Amino acid sequence: MAARIALKRALPSTRSAFTHSPQQPPRFITRPFSASLPSLAPNPNPSTSASSSPSSSSTSSSSAPDYAIPDPTRPTHFGYETVTEGEKRERVAGVFTSVAESYDRMNDLMSFGWHRVWKDHFVASLNPGFSPLTPGPDPRGPQHILDIAGGTGDIAFRMLHTAHVVNANPAVRVTISDINRAMLTVGKQRSTTLPASQQASLSFVEANAENLSQTRPLHPYPSPIEPTTHDAHGNTEQAFFDPATSTASIPSASVDLYTVAFGIRNFSNIPAALREAYRVLKPGGVFACLEFSKADAHPVFNALYKEWSFRAIPLIGQLVAADRDSYQYLVESIERFPSQAEFRDMIVDAGFVVAGDGWEDLTGGVAAIHKGMKPRA
Amino acid sequence: MACLARAETTPRILIGPLRRSSRFVCLSSRESTSITIPTARTISTRPQYPRQQQPLRPLPRSPVTPATTFRTYHSHDHPPPPGPFTPAETALLCAAYIHVPRHGFTAEALARGARDAGLLDISPSVLPGGESGGAFRLICWHLYTQRTALGGKVGGLTGDAGSPITNVADKVEALAWERLKGNAEAGVVGRWQEALAVMAHPSYAPTSVKELAQLADEILYLAGDSSVDPSWYSKRASLSAIYAAAELFQTTDQSPDFRETRAFLRRRLQEAARMGGAVRSISEWIGFNAGAAVNVLRSKGVRI
Repeated sequence: MAARIALKRALPSTRSAFTHSPQQPPRFITRPFSASLPSLAPNPNPSTSASSSPSSSSTSSSSAPDYAIPDPTRPTHFGYETVTEGEKRERVAGVFTSVAESYDRMNDLMSFGWHRVWKDHFVASLNPGFSPLTPGPDPRGPQHILDIAGGTGDIAFRMLHTAHVVNANPAVRVTISDINRAMLTVGKQRSTTLPASQQASLSFVEANAENLSQTRPLHPYPSPIEPTTHDAHGNTEQAFFDPATSTASIPSASVDLYTVAFGIRNFSNIPAALREAYRVLKPGGVFACLEFSKADAHPVFNALYKEWSFRAIPLIGQLVAADRDSYQYLVESIERFPSQAEFRDMIVDAGFVVAGDGWEDLTGGVAAIHKGMKPRA
Repeated sequence: MACLARAETTPRILIGPLRRSSRFVCLSSRESTSITIPTARTISTRPQYPRQQQPLRPLPRSPVTPATTFRTYHSHDHPPPPGPFTPAETALLCAAYIHVPRHGFTAEALARGARDAGLLDISPSVLPGGESGGAFRLICWHLYTQRTALGGKVGGLTGDAGSPITNVADKVEALAWERLKGNAEAGVVGRWQEALAVMAHPSYAPTSVKELAQLADEILYLAGDSSVDPSWYSKRASLSAIYAAAELFQTTDQSPDFRETRAFLRRRLQEAARMGGAVRSISEWIGFNAGAAVNVLRSKGVRI
């Protein structure tokens, strides 16, 4: 409840930012991207992509296959449309900027509140902060959890609670990272209701999950000073993180647990993000992903679920958030996301090892938890 | 020609869904082309969900060991399927299993095992399942390794007098006892009540029951049971029940070398054999009398 009050307090300023947005369509800096399901077709414009992708060298390596190397001109999908990489990033940014303030309310309405059960289960199954009862602290240092696409902090706050309260391990740090500053700002506002010790263990970082070597601490959006600032092209400050302004990075082998909940299907290049997760994790570190998936195993239930998602969710979005298109994108992107086994294979391709099937279905497969471990070198 | 005649009398039926494929319709196509009736597709009021498009590029494939290779039969001709544990999981569970006698089937044992294996405290959370998923996986590991170890023990089975066992019933008893001794040798008897509590958890119960069924099947297969009638099921069901009861008895057994457990197991198996004989006799009696009754009725002129 307190979180909701804090969120309401944050809303007027956020809302005014949208109403005072520039009239001309915003121009975005072209930056390297590639598709989650890129085509085998030759790149139509290889020279421009090479010249405009200064950061691709950091994610690409000799072992990375072509599809895991960001490429701005490669086609990908945005819902059921086929768009180019950079366009998808722009449009996903637009979707989440426009839904940031109603995000939590909409989640409750769309899933009948069940997303809370999924998230609780997700965090409980990871059991962050658990440490065997040995004299002295863990010789490998305190745990560091990186919550990618953490946005409004749902997962990160639960992680902190489990680690600090349930497992009584105050040494656990959580970093919330998101490419979208509007979402991250809502999360920052919500975090002010946490106990001070938990707030002290939280940090907010703007980053693109496909390249975690370029980050910067959160500059709240809209911030009192920044809406007037301009980037190199003379455009006003964007709602999403611009890698040209990066001041920090997440070093390799520095993270114990990498989580991404309901975020990975929005990435332009999922293989690149998985490789980046592999890079930042310590050997033995765990990659955990909570994401919508396929309920194909139960045909009747699946039919009802499809009816609900294609008919009701865009309508609820229209009525509650006044934004039908964003929620239409949401259900289409769920439909386009790979099945459990395909996504498990993508995780294995990035170098992770899995246990058992590699995933766990929730609610008959509407959502699924995928986990992978970075093996010891 | 009969086909064509029929088509002319009922042209409307033919226009919709049949038009593309049927030879029947080809004959009538000249007559029916001028009639336009909306096809099922155009008059549909259902929302047309766009079909899932083919991925622009085939997804990368890798030789992932399918963990669900479960076979419900034994084969002499095909190698056994790989176990349900991936190599990384095996390494982690092996390391954690050493800590079970002292710390039980718990997250504590898993975390200590992970440290021994050079991994992190968080590493066991990769194991599938919910809150106690790791603990249940450790229990499954115990069940799986003990069950697969039975195959190596079947050759050395000896009776009380030290002579090789040839009787199927005696082999079943000896193998069930070997499996119960496995619990004692692994040092998990003192922790087995906790394990049973986790196994009875509603989300783990189906897997636990399946594992019990596989154990009963393994024992009967190794004992050389070759029944191909309904007793295939009743033997496995009764052995499952007896084994589960004996295992529960074992958790509280204080006698040296679990002598009481062995006596318990033997009594239950004898009871089952007596019960099986009684059921067989009764069903034979009922079958004979039912047949006789039918014949008496037929002799009286009833048409059966």
